[in-house]
Amino acid sequence: MLGLVSMESSDAELVQRVLQGDVNAYGSLVSRYRDRYARYAVHMLGNREDAEEALQDAFTRAYRSLSRCEEPERFGAWLFRILVNRCRTSGARRVRRSQTFVHDEGALLNASQEHPAEQTAWREEIERALGELSADQREAFLLKYVEELGYEEMSEITGVGVSALKMRVMRACDRLRILLKEVHSG
Amino acid sequence: MENIVEELQRPVRLDDSFERRLMVRVRRLHAERRKRRGWLGAAMSIAQRPAWATALAAGLVAVVTFGVIRVRQGEHVVAANGLEPVNFVLVAPAAKSVKVVGDFNNWGLNDSALVATNNQGVWSVTAPVKAGVHRYAFVVNDKQWVADPRAPRSAGDDFGMPSSALVVEDSTK
Repeated sequence: MLGLVSMESSDAELVQRVLQGDVNAYGSLVSRYRDRYARYAVHMLGNREDAEEALQDAFTRAYRSLSRCEEPERFGAWLFRILVNRCRTSGARRVRRSQTFVHDEGALLNASQEHPAEQTAWREEIERALGELSADQREAFLLKYVEELGYEEMSEITGVGVSALKMRVMRACDRLRILLKEVHSG
Repeated sequence: MENIVEELQRPVRLDDSFERRLMVRVRRLHAERRKRRGWLGAAMSIAQRPAWATALAAGLVAVVTFGVIRVRQGEHVVAANGLEPVNFVLVAPAAKSVKVVGDFNNWGLNDSALVATNNQGVWSVTAPVKAGVHRYAFVVNDKQWVADPRAPRSAGDDFGMPSSALVVEDSTK
């Protein structure tokens, strides 16, 4: 019952409860955003292990500085900004692993039943191509197309100008097309 | 490109252990915070004992310098509505700006930071602060958080930033 109430609460209400000492309310916020933001972290960092670590760290940082969340009703956006910065730090510190498997049982189940092997191969090709992009281009591409943010919002999150972001997205798209075309033609 | 995006937008699900591990960390932080509040509460009760509060405050607790304003300005400041005048001072000759943020001004959010004025490298600002226990820090050049070197550090860095402990006594009691 408590869980159901929590899921229906707004971000602002949950933040308020956390600030009043209700740790379980933070659990509700974690449940709300963990999978959604795991996707970004996995694609950005290229492997689940690093992504989980970045996400754990982002959630922990957010908890510690929750009283500084200026717009509690936009907790999700605020948390995402922390995660994007955390992924940048992680990406700069570590070498992207050579093999990038985004193994997702749920997604695999949803994949084509007729050609599951092809589906998996296609997924791996995309992840590999994504890994070939520079971190800046990958970040811009994911924010624009996968997270479907507007350029103004992207600029706010990354601190990068809109025109520079547009350029990064365009180059990322061009590069992905080339890389994936090479795979298919090869 | 649509096929690529469609594939990348598929949900990525984390297993339940992720949340369990995270909440262990969060509960630990919560417990540390409660413990710290307990410590600060103890500091307040000690500081309010008149017999030895002054001596202890000089060495242990951030001192609220009620007297400074009266001496400097030659006028009496009367505490009202439970607010006490507090003079924050930081010696920082190379600084271009110094602000004071704390739990009493919502950590400077929405431009609520106290702006200190410079007098030959000695930055100071006086502001009314509610009697009680507080945490605060200086922000130098709008980016560098500095704990008050004259005051005890707040146990742990609650927000990942250095901060100091402040005990404001109610002068009307």
